[in-house]
Amino acid sequence: MNAHPSPIQPIELKGRMILVSILRLHDADTHRLNEALNARMREAPELMRDMPLLVDLEHLADTSVETLTQVIETVRGRGFKLIGLQQGTAAQSVASRVGLPLIVLGGKGGEIPLRVAPSPQAEPANEPAPAAHQESTPVQALHTASLVVNQPVRSGQQVYARGGDLIVLGTVSAGAELLADGHIHVYGTLRGKALAGVRGMTGARIFCRRLDAELVSIAGHYRIAEDILDAERGDHRLVTLAGETINISEI
Amino acid sequence: MARIVVITSGKGGVGKTTTSAAVATGLALEGHKTAVIDFDVGLRNLDLIMGCERRVVYDFVNVINGDANLRQALIKDKRTDNLFILPASQTRDKDALTEEGVEKVLDELSQEFDYIVCDSPAGIERGAMMAAYFADEAIVVTNPEVSSVRDSDRMLGILSSKTRKAERGEGPLPAKLLLTRYSPERVERGEMLSVDDVTEILSIDMLGVIPESQSVLNASNAGMPVILDEESDAGQAYRDAVARFLGEDRPHRFLTTQKKGLFGRLFRG
Repeated sequence: MNAHPSPIQPIELKGRMILVSILRLHDADTHRLNEALNARMREAPELMRDMPLLVDLEHLADTSVETLTQVIETVRGRGFKLIGLQQGTAAQSVASRVGLPLIVLGGKGGEIPLRVAPSPQAEPANEPAPAAHQESTPVQALHTASLVVNQPVRSGQQVYARGGDLIVLGTVSAGAELLADGHIHVYGTLRGKALAGVRGMTGARIFCRRLDAELVSIAGHYRIAEDILDAERGDHRLVTLAGETINISEI
Repeated sequence: MARIVVITSGKGGVGKTTTSAAVATGLALEGHKTAVIDFDVGLRNLDLIMGCERRVVYDFVNVINGDANLRQALIKDKRTDNLFILPASQTRDKDALTEEGVEKVLDELSQEFDYIVCDSPAGIERGAMMAAYFADEAIVVTNPEVSSVRDSDRMLGILSSKTRKAERGEGPLPAKLLLTRYSPERVERGEMLSVDDVTEILSIDMLGVIPESQSVLNASNAGMPVILDEESDAGQAYRDAVARFLGEDRPHRFLTTQKKGLFGRLFRG
């Protein structure tokens, strides 16, 4: 008899944010597809290996289900971890054939210019960030590239430093979003969201000259504005992750 | 070639049309041949503020569709030389504003005018995008309150990426801020964001600060751009803003509370 519910829940549902790359296919020819995938692999093998991918079939709307099934298997054969299919009229029937879920993303997913980057490179999504430019991309060097943004990042804009750190010299407005695989530095006031280590780097940190953020996140753990105390807001702040706790301290 | 200036904000009711009328009139007063276009297709307010609503025959959409030519649609302002108004259509919606059509009208106006002032509708939808797309520079109108500032910030982001200038890789659209309905008394009581707060949040140059004033409402109701009211503080502030827009260096006025003397209190209330 178990009259009292156990204090330990057998399961726990937690909300975590993950960042997923979308592979949009423009060509159903398996040979050309293989070549293109190989070329990408050669450019950034570290980044591509086991990369979770969502395959977007929107541009292959006229292709038959049989061909699409082959195409998916081709992509799979390159070592990507496919987690689902998106869009495309035939996606539903292809999805069941290749045993992948059909994932519908909200908003205008079709317009997000998220390419699989040829090398660790920034990918501004939605609205391109103002004149974000790469400071250095030494392909042969071990050092991963940092993305430096010279202008304010405004409400509605999103900047993503793929494979590296993100350095913003101006202010990040409320409603703006910064994402980086590495650390995030903000030399103005951070009023928007900042998500560091979005692909799981728990040692990632957020440094800012002044913190007044809507959300800070490291490796998927996050604190929203409501959970950031007034005392934690202010000048020269450092955001770190310890275990599952986001800490904010003064530098 | 004319310079195309868009007056925009994101949020509605902050004073875009009032500002468009004032700036266009101010530029014309300085001797620049100026056209002001109402992009708020479907609502149409500019002609009311400019006091020419009874002389509208053809409108912007008629010109885009080729139902009328520019010469027929442009209304010459009665008070100010060098000033012409292209009113919006009230019977159509903003889908009537095609990119090709707007470009054609602006190109044709550019041949003849020094300045083209585009009065943007509120929001970030088609009408606002079309008003801003071909612009050479922008004046962003903001009220000193949080939601208006937030929307202006969003609009500044769009201006830096979604205009023709930005798409051609010529950098973000140069934008300046015009703070309207500013009340130093309410700022002092902590009920309103200050000039410094707003400039700090938006990190952008301030073109002018227009004080909250009954004269703005009076001028609108009378169908007269408030810049022509030389007695009013708002009218003077708009004159300063236009002078700064044209490159003159003028100090900002009306930023602090006016200390009223005994007589002032007795006679002005």
